[in-house]
Amino acid sequence: MHDWIRQRQGPDRDAVTLQRGRIYILPTGLGAAFGVMLVAMLLGSLNYGNNLGLALSFLLAALGVVAMHACHRNLEQLIARPAGTEPSFAGQYAVFRIALANPGRLPRSDLEAAAGATTPPVHVAAAGEAALELRLPTRRRGSLILERVEIATRYPYGLFRAWAVLHPGMTCLVYPCPAANAPPPPRHAGLAGGGAARRGEDDFAGLRNYHPGDPPKHIAWKAYARADELLIKEFSGDAEATPVFDLAEAPGAELEARLAVLARWIVDAHARGLAFGLRLPGEEIPPAPGDAQRARCLAALARFDAPAPDVA
Amino acid sequence: MSPERTESFRRLAWTTAGLTAALGPHLLRLEPWIPAFVLGVAAWRLVAERRGWRLPSTLVRGLIALAVTVGVFLSYATITGLDGGTALLALMSALKLLETRGPRDYTVLIFIGWFLCLASFLYAQDVATAAWVLPTVWLLAAALLRVTLRGRGGPPPRPFRTTGAMLLKAAPLALVLFIFFPRFAGSFWGAPSSERGQTGLTEEMSPGAISDLTQNDVVAFRVRFEGDQPPPPRERYWRALTLNQFDGYTWRRSDSQAYFVPEVTHLGTPVEYTVTMEPTAQQMLFALDMVASWTPGLAHKSWDFSLRARRPINAVLRYDVRSHPEYQAGLELILSIENLSLQLPPGRNPRTLELANRMRAAAGSDADYLQSVLSLFREQEFRYTLAPPGLARDSVDDFLFNTRQGFCGHYASAFTMMARAVGIPARVVAGYQGGDWNPLGGYLIVRQSHAHAWSEVWLPKRGWTRVDPTAAVAPERVERGLEASFAGSEALSGALRRDSEFLWQAGMLWDNLNAEWNDWVVQFDRETQESVLSELGFDDPDWRAFAMALAVGLGIAVGILVLWLALELRPRATDPAAAAYRRFQNRLARRGIERAAAEAPRDFAQRVRRLRPDLALRALAITETYLRLRYGPAPAANDLRLLRALVTRFRP
Repeated sequence: MHDWIRQRQGPDRDAVTLQRGRIYILPTGLGAAFGVMLVAMLLGSLNYGNNLGLALSFLLAALGVVAMHACHRNLEQLIARPAGTEPSFAGQYAVFRIALANPGRLPRSDLEAAAGATTPPVHVAAAGEAALELRLPTRRRGSLILERVEIATRYPYGLFRAWAVLHPGMTCLVYPCPAANAPPPPRHAGLAGGGAARRGEDDFAGLRNYHPGDPPKHIAWKAYARADELLIKEFSGDAEATPVFDLAEAPGAELEARLAVLARWIVDAHARGLAFGLRLPGEEIPPAPGDAQRARCLAALARFDAPAPDVA
Repeated sequence: MSPERTESFRRLAWTTAGLTAALGPHLLRLEPWIPAFVLGVAAWRLVAERRGWRLPSTLVRGLIALAVTVGVFLSYATITGLDGGTALLALMSALKLLETRGPRDYTVLIFIGWFLCLASFLYAQDVATAAWVLPTVWLLAAALLRVTLRGRGGPPPRPFRTTGAMLLKAAPLALVLFIFFPRFAGSFWGAPSSERGQTGLTEEMSPGAISDLTQNDVVAFRVRFEGDQPPPPRERYWRALTLNQFDGYTWRRSDSQAYFVPEVTHLGTPVEYTVTMEPTAQQMLFALDMVASWTPGLAHKSWDFSLRARRPINAVLRYDVRSHPEYQAGLELILSIENLSLQLPPGRNPRTLELANRMRAAAGSDADYLQSVLSLFREQEFRYTLAPPGLARDSVDDFLFNTRQGFCGHYASAFTMMARAVGIPARVVAGYQGGDWNPLGGYLIVRQSHAHAWSEVWLPKRGWTRVDPTAAVAPERVERGLEASFAGSEALSGALRRDSEFLWQAGMLWDNLNAEWNDWVVQFDRETQESVLSELGFDDPDWRAFAMALAVGLGIAVGILVLWLALELRPRATDPAAAAYRRFQNRLARRGIERAAAEAPRDFAQRVRRLRPDLALRALAITETYLRLRYGPAPAANDLRLLRALVTRFRP
């Protein structure tokens, strides 16, 4: 069925006008109950030879037919357009936005988008617009593709459900979920180029405890000799200022775990308002502060050697 | 209140309103505690929703359900049947109200409301009920729209208005179904039991029984005559049944069905007519004397020449009859009928028996004797009255020798007994006499107040002969109706009076509406359908004709619906001024001067002036007129005409 619809309609990359041919309709559970009620009324009226009872049954049946056509028409000529996605961390909800435009003079009611999950329904005024936000759960890093989505309505009366199938092929990035307890980034990390590293070594800022992975040349050997304690010399303008997180320096056994650590470092650094950069094999993002940088870096993590995208 | 609570309250309020309206026609019919309970629960539920009270627990609801079911059983002795079923339906809605949480519960309530509407039609199919139920159905559908509405943002649809528009669109489809959906005779699971308390004639007559009816304007039946010519008032004797068993106080119908029907010779010109009778819950039918033929299969003629239907009449019924006002009926009297027609309770009304025997001895023949009894009523101090005093156990003695005030039943009872007392077979005939002619509709209205009782005696060589002793006392009763016989003397109820010509006219108009309603809606049956099909050109319509008419009719109705909906979807027709201006733009575009999307009309006009100075004046005139039309405070009446003319003559 899905394949057949897909074949019939083809992919929908841009705005799509919902024409009659792509709107399907079936009765809902309530509609079926309504039908059973009508049959009971009809049989009762026929049995009692009651013409007004018959008239009542016929009026309600005709109202059902009108409701069916009205439900179908509630979608007709609407323009649906993919309106962007909002990436999420793996395990959280990816947001797919679908904008609905109503070009006609009839207000449309109770429109929703459904693809596994269903959006809260919206009304769209005549010549108005509304956006539906479809929130879909993500499983793993990479990307989530919204292969097919239904624009649906049960208006009026909830007796029928009309829907149109879109194949927007919208892709939403899924960032790696930041590791819960990642070590802090290595202090020397982010010597973004030799110049920065040299400048960083100019201003001695203090000593801190050694972490595995700290470069041996920053070990304060004199302090070690005094206190039998491995300490690391810290320099201002060093990792604190412009760290460049490197996949090679992220601890962890698997790639996914290391990406998770990188994600944690990026999120934390962004939260502290720092500038940061990212170095992945084959890709280097120079340090910068801000939301755009965070998104750029996380996106690079999502895309790096990405597994096959999930399809919602 | 939070938005969710407000929303929930609105849903509840819509549903409760619809349900209350659906309960309306049943308010007086149900045992009073039932509507009181339902409305009480509804009111409590609304307050509880507002205040955020907790709903009763499952246990409490179960106990209430048990209690009301027992209550229905105590009130109706059954929980099935129309009365018990309706009561239970109403109570179920109250119980459901106590557990409403989501939209699904509300939809159940709305469905119950629709069933209550159906039930009110099973009780009565009159204009008033229909006039109440139609808006109720509308309100319930609007409630369904409201409770299933979930969307946010944008203007929400208005339930009542939207539903009204949809019902309007549903009307043609419903009409086609109503006209062409085949009607069946008979029923699937037995005729409904009659549970209505009917006013009207019954199968027994005690003194005063009929005078109670005279205060009742309710229509008993309506009659259309072939040729629209009713018989003269003195021939309007509508026989319903005969009463043969007398216990000294009350006359009763004889149940026995075993008698054969005596032969009748029909004379004179027949009267053909169609009777549309209101339900009586009894088997009697009404026909003018003497009935010759009637709608086949509906009824049989019993031994006393009255028509008996096969089943009690529980819905409006229409039937055709042919009667002969002149006739000779039952020249031969068989023994069993003779015995029944001479029965008198032994030892009762002794003074009447004594008087009868004395008068018979004085008279030469049976016929003379009967005349002398009528003279007795006429010449002595007998009064015809609507409010006769009560009578003792020997009712005829009390009436003839003490009170001497009576209504038709008293005279018929006394006369019949006097005849039987001397061995003349006689019986009381109960039915209606007269009727109001409705000149607007061209039919006769016979009301309960036309109820009448008279006598029928059997005389050798003449057979059964009608004698109306009331006519001896108050001849104007028969000739001119009840009002004439009580002109100004006694209070008559509204419809019997004619002091206000306007009210009388209005009453006739209303009755005409009811009669047409009965003919075209309530009594719309197989026969009417076939005549409609014949009008449409189907000769001798069979099931194929029905199927075809239904299919074509539905096709047309659905076509209308689809077209109607599509027309509403069409984008709004553009403003005529904008259309004219667009024509102006198109003409310039063909000359290579195109207006940019963001270019204001005046800027565009300036550009036109630079590019084509020769067109400048006209382009400016068009632009200014257009702007005045679109944005001006008060465009002149002929601006649109001016703009169109300017554009038409604009040839760049």
